[in-house]
Amino acid sequence: MRRWIAHLPGRVFLLLMLAGFGLIASASLEYFDFGTLPGFMLEKLPLRFESLWLFTLRAHVASALLTFPLCIALMTRFVQRRAALHRVLGRVTGVVVLLVLVPSGAVLALDAKGGALVSAGFLLSGAIVAGFMVRGVLAARRRDLVTHRHAMQHVFAQMSVAVSSRVLMIALDRAGMHPELAYVIALWGPVLASAAAVELPAACRGVLRMLAASQRRAALSRFEPLKGTPS
Amino acid sequence: MKAIRWSYFGAFALASLPSFASADEPFGWAKNRVDEVIVKPVSARERGGGFSRGRPPPRQSRIRITQASESRDASNRAFVPFAIDVRWGSSEWNKDDVVGCVYRESGKVFVKIGDGYRPAAILLGKDLEPVAGVCVAAPPPARS
Repeated sequence: MRRWIAHLPGRVFLLLMLAGFGLIASASLEYFDFGTLPGFMLEKLPLRFESLWLFTLRAHVASALLTFPLCIALMTRFVQRRAALHRVLGRVTGVVVLLVLVPSGAVLALDAKGGALVSAGFLLSGAIVAGFMVRGVLAARRRDLVTHRHAMQHVFAQMSVAVSSRVLMIALDRAGMHPELAYVIALWGPVLASAAAVELPAACRGVLRMLAASQRRAALSRFEPLKGTPS
Repeated sequence: MKAIRWSYFGAFALASLPSFASADEPFGWAKNRVDEVIVKPVSARERGGGFSRGRPPPRQSRIRITQASESRDASNRAFVPFAIDVRWGSSEWNKDDVVGCVYRESGKVFVKIGDGYRPAAILLGKDLEPVAGVCVAAPPPARS
């Protein structure tokens, strides 16, 4: 029971991400209506290379729609307990993220609405995803599961920005904030918070481990004078 | 979810306010035409894009005719230029969110994107190229 409660926040988070994925998927259907221009693109017109930009956007959305639910599945205990399945899904996800999602996101980031500050936010998020994906894959290959888990948590945390930033945008819009400012806050806030959400618990665990080690050393040092006493 | 729907309904209702432009008002016909061709359909389209990175629908919009008299293009067709201003919440009006012109006889509406004018249907997602010569006032005829 205690274990079930300990895993509850993680399960709730995964369910929220799944619901967010459903909403994003339904809102993204218009990107694959090849007869019309998506509303998101109309905001950006005129574009220098309209067709290329639209192709990149479609590649980015399609890869995100494939990899995000795969990341959710990979984070579940059900898949983590099945090593062979975890390996296959992980490889597919890693390849699509590194070869399609991140490169297309970087291209779109250069032309992001909101200017250089927003571009920098998207590029930072993409760099975290790519960097930790490579680190996580290398860690898995040498069976370093602690590093693998930590790296993949960063990847998933940054992918969850897709949901959290949209939720924040809606909240800030309802609060009456101007969309341009809301867009910047709704990007940088979740990007930094997601990185912190992974690093802070790890840092806390590290501090606790250090404290425990120093307590052990202190306890042992109390017995040190006995070493020199004649038996 | 219901609350979000209501907010879109509110935005749609407020966005529809310019439709009350009276026909007696100067260029009331032009405002009504812009409302019919751009404001109402774009609001309806934006209502469907709830969970995207797209700009949220404005709470209010207003149509302004930006010239005191009609102009005529190189083909001698009369048109009036307009601008649509939008606002979110209690923020300032965001002026010239959409700029374009509406033709009196044909009722055709064009919007400025970059340096060119394209048919207003592009705002509803139709991939349309710029039309040369529209919305540009011809120079007055030289006196002989």
